[in-house]
Amino acid sequence: MGSLFRSEEVCLAQLFLQSASAYSCISELGERGLLEFRDLNPKVSPFQRRFVGEVRRCEEMEKTFTFLQQELRAAGRLPAPCPESPRAPAAREALRVQEQSEQLAQELREVSRSRSSLRDRLRDLRQHLHVLREGQRFTSLPVGPGREPILDPSLHHHLDRKINFVAGVIHPWRVTAFERLLWRACRGYLVASFVEMPEPMEDPATGESITWVIFLISYWGEQIGQKIRKISNCFHCQVYGYPESEASRTEAITRLHGQIQELSVTLEETEKYLAEVLDKVAQVLPTWRVQVQKMKAIYLVLNQCSFDVTKKCLIAEVWCPVRDLTQVQDALRQGSVSGSCFVQRVPTTESPPTLIRTNKFTAGFQSIVDAYGVASYQEVNPAPYAIITFPFIFAIMFGDVGHGLLMFLFALWMVLYEDSPRLRQGTNEIWLTFFEGRYLILLMGAFSIYTGFIYNECFSKATAIFPSAWSVATMANHSSWSSAYLATHPSLTLDPNVTGVFQGPYPFGIDPIWSLATNHLNFLNSFKMKMSVVLGIVHMGFGVMLGVFNHVHFQQRHRLVLEFLPEMIFLLALFGYLVFLIFYKWIKFSAADSRVAPSILIHFIDMFLFTSNAENLPLYPGQVPVQMVLVVLALASVPVLLLGTPLYQWCRQRGLTVGAHDFAEIFMHQAIHTIEYCLGCVSNTASYLRLWALSLAHAQLSEVLWSMVMRNGFVGLSYVGGVVLVPVFAAFAVLTVAILLVMEGLSAFLHALRLHWVEFQNKFYVGAGYKLCPFAFAPDTWE
Amino acid sequence: MPGYSEFYFNVDHGYLEGLVRGFKAGILTSADYVNLAQCETLEDLKLHLQTTDYGNFLANETGPLTVSTIDEKLKTKLLTEFHYFRNHAFEPLATFLNFVTYSYMIDNVILLITGTLHQRPIAELAPKCHPLGSFEQMEAVSIASNPTELFNAILVDTPLAAFFQDCLSENDLDEMNIEIMRNKLYKSYLEAFYKFCEKQGGTTAEIMRPILEFEADRRAFIITINSFGTELSKDDREKLYPTCGKLYPEGLHLLANADDYEQVKRVAEYYADYKAVFEGVGSGTGEKTLEDAFFEHEVKLNVLAFNNQFHFGVFYAYVKLKEQECRNIVWIAECISQRHRTKINNYIPIF
Repeated sequence: MGSLFRSEEVCLAQLFLQSASAYSCISELGERGLLEFRDLNPKVSPFQRRFVGEVRRCEEMEKTFTFLQQELRAAGRLPAPCPESPRAPAAREALRVQEQSEQLAQELREVSRSRSSLRDRLRDLRQHLHVLREGQRFTSLPVGPGREPILDPSLHHHLDRKINFVAGVIHPWRVTAFERLLWRACRGYLVASFVEMPEPMEDPATGESITWVIFLISYWGEQIGQKIRKISNCFHCQVYGYPESEASRTEAITRLHGQIQELSVTLEETEKYLAEVLDKVAQVLPTWRVQVQKMKAIYLVLNQCSFDVTKKCLIAEVWCPVRDLTQVQDALRQGSVSGSCFVQRVPTTESPPTLIRTNKFTAGFQSIVDAYGVASYQEVNPAPYAIITFPFIFAIMFGDVGHGLLMFLFALWMVLYEDSPRLRQGTNEIWLTFFEGRYLILLMGAFSIYTGFIYNECFSKATAIFPSAWSVATMANHSSWSSAYLATHPSLTLDPNVTGVFQGPYPFGIDPIWSLATNHLNFLNSFKMKMSVVLGIVHMGFGVMLGVFNHVHFQQRHRLVLEFLPEMIFLLALFGYLVFLIFYKWIKFSAADSRVAPSILIHFIDMFLFTSNAENLPLYPGQVPVQMVLVVLALASVPVLLLGTPLYQWCRQRGLTVGAHDFAEIFMHQAIHTIEYCLGCVSNTASYLRLWALSLAHAQLSEVLWSMVMRNGFVGLSYVGGVVLVPVFAAFAVLTVAILLVMEGLSAFLHALRLHWVEFQNKFYVGAGYKLCPFAFAPDTWE
Repeated sequence: MPGYSEFYFNVDHGYLEGLVRGFKAGILTSADYVNLAQCETLEDLKLHLQTTDYGNFLANETGPLTVSTIDEKLKTKLLTEFHYFRNHAFEPLATFLNFVTYSYMIDNVILLITGTLHQRPIAELAPKCHPLGSFEQMEAVSIASNPTELFNAILVDTPLAAFFQDCLSENDLDEMNIEIMRNKLYKSYLEAFYKFCEKQGGTTAEIMRPILEFEADRRAFIITINSFGTELSKDDREKLYPTCGKLYPEGLHLLANADDYEQVKRVAEYYADYKAVFEGVGSGTGEKTLEDAFFEHEVKLNVLAFNNQFHFGVFYAYVKLKEQECRNIVWIAECISQRHRTKINNYIPIF
């Protein structure tokens, strides 16, 4: 917890790494992930740095790996994730990895090349076969009666002209253009027929499976033939020989069959060999990838180091958490061969990065704070207080036992099964957001149950755990209500002044009888409004107090007097007094003298106007002078706040030579702060009234849902009513989750967030820091 | 509703405009060029390009890096971006983007015809075509033997058909005729594009007008200068000039009558912009050529297009600037690989 209060001490340090052992030292440090390296050569472009050769070698290797990976994927295998984290390879091992990977790639390339050439050949033969077979349809003798062949070969002899053929396959997309061009270019001196191939085949260019189109063009004359060949060449057609006589065609088909069979056997052998090679690749590739990635990361870090004059030693500058210095020394000892690498702290005026260590519970709360701004170095961290205040402020707006319980159970489920990989590795971003905030949701649910009991609402219905403190029977006896009177009067008044009707406050929360009262809302509004103001002022006051820790820690004790004190006086004298009035009136005035109870609002306004109102009785004797003193105190604290710090610094630095410009800046800064604070006290107090508004909205919405939806299910006490209740409850449940839990929950979350960021944190939090990003081999980057 | 296009521009084209402006931010700056020019090898160049928006576009190249692979990859990247624009574009932006590709199509057609004339195999020529201007029937261009056949058989289906009306003749395709055909195609293309932009009106017309006018005038100047010493007659020459530029009509007439470079320069002096361009040209080895000076002016005009919003000019400008960037990188890479560092700084920085 100590580390959560403010960020850890971080120092600038120099690492002196002997050239020989620099690599292993950085590797050791990367495994532990302790330090943030600073770039000492920011002006040197990437290709002029020292280890650019090594980085390039890593990239070469990665290129080879990418090739191997592609081959694996093409073969339909997914490389297994790397089982454990292998260390970065030593120079000799890296060389071995490079050699072996290149050898494997070479082998693979050869095998897959021979396989693809075999495949091409096979495809070629098959296509030829298809062309010959399909061509039969156009050129063979008629099969049945009534079917004339399009080209009767027996006509050749009569015409004294030879019909020639061009046959081949073409990509289906190009058919129309091809046909059109043929027609145009050859002016119709040809007959072209197109037919789809019966089985799809691979496209060598893209690897997709395509149903090719077979064409058979018959033409007269050699010139046309040349043109056709040229055109088909342009359209990337595969042209096959098409023997003219029927007999030679049949012969060709049988020959092709034989060749295809032979080739298939060879191809099978090659495939088997290829699978063996791929097995080898799949075994070693994941480890290699991780190793080389680490190696590259190390060289990139080394590129950020500078050389000392003797060139024997690399110097790195790092931000290091002071607590981890011994660990760093350990790592260096392990990494270095002769023990001559060491770390040395360096004094710096720069502001170090912020490091706040979190665990799975605090991480969610810390990230809420970080989303606003990363804490400045060593300033008070609001996160530990947010662990309680955030769920509590949320719960004030979300107070309902039932809704809180649902939320709590949902979060509990996530917390209990947090180690299950199915929850952890979801790819849905929205889901992951919820999952990250599971502990936050757990507390929000728990606190909502608590505030739900205070408001006495469970799905908008009141619970009567204790008997109500109001007695209707006493009242009825007292004013002797007859049955006829009760029948004609729908609403009756319970008078607390009658003895026995009101027997003292309800033990916990709001009396359930209020849920029956017509002035229920009036009563709750007054209560919730005052509660919001009281909680708001307490919250803000706490924020101002946290500033004290900053002033003390940064040795700025003058700010205790010149800032903290006037701020506190201003807040307490005006708004603290308001809180006092609220409590005072609650205690002082009871039901008996409620008719003469003065209005706090009028008193508060009169306090600023320095007047008193005769109709509004004073709350206590001597009220007017007390209020005058308070207002004067508050007003007097404004100039102190405005001028105190600037004048103090001016006085202190008068001996030194400080420009007027500097002073003007300090003054401007303080003026802005003063205006923001004083106006903020007013507007922020009003802003806390959102607690009232949101909790009112939530209560009303759940009541509407109950009375408009759920009550329809209670139409009759018959079996029919029971059946009707099922769909009605379904609708009620869906709407409850969708609107009241998710939508209202998000809105209450948002307002709680705002109250923390704006109203609370602006009292003390600067948030101008930056995070420490240690150099570490993160496991999630290995994919 | 010309004039009020701002009100509904974003409905159809807002996404793409945002995208193109985002891409524009990735165009290399002069600081990048300074760094690139310091590179010792192509590997250094690659390493530096990795730190820019190009990222890992060369990462999967096996084997030694050559200038042509760099060039090819640069073009593929531009092509991918352009296709993304084109596939997501609504009318009239879709037509506008088509117009941008037509100029590349014309160049490709001419390249293929010239190549075929010199008996080069089509497989060797096809990779040299600019990928932005490739179309389905492109490679069949080589079977045509005269313009009419070229038109009737092949180009009639392509969008270039509309520009072909003036070029139909029964002449054989020789080098001279091809060059004339290129210029006529370009002339009708530029005029059609100009008319299209004028029809769009609003900011699009306002931005595209100076760019296309300059393009037309540049062609007129270059045609004139290139025609000295050829058998092209002055009348024929005048027919090739695009008529949508600032030079039209007086300047073009003067150009048609020019006999040497000095006279061309004198014509340019009547126009402030072109006067500046011609004055920037030097004859020494380290100085700018006229071509470079024109490119520089073009870059300036294209950069200006980004100063206005709600118009299509940014797409044109982006493609042209990116093309210039490709030229710059290739130039630097060429200088590095040939160890010819004296001229390495002759690139044209964009921002």
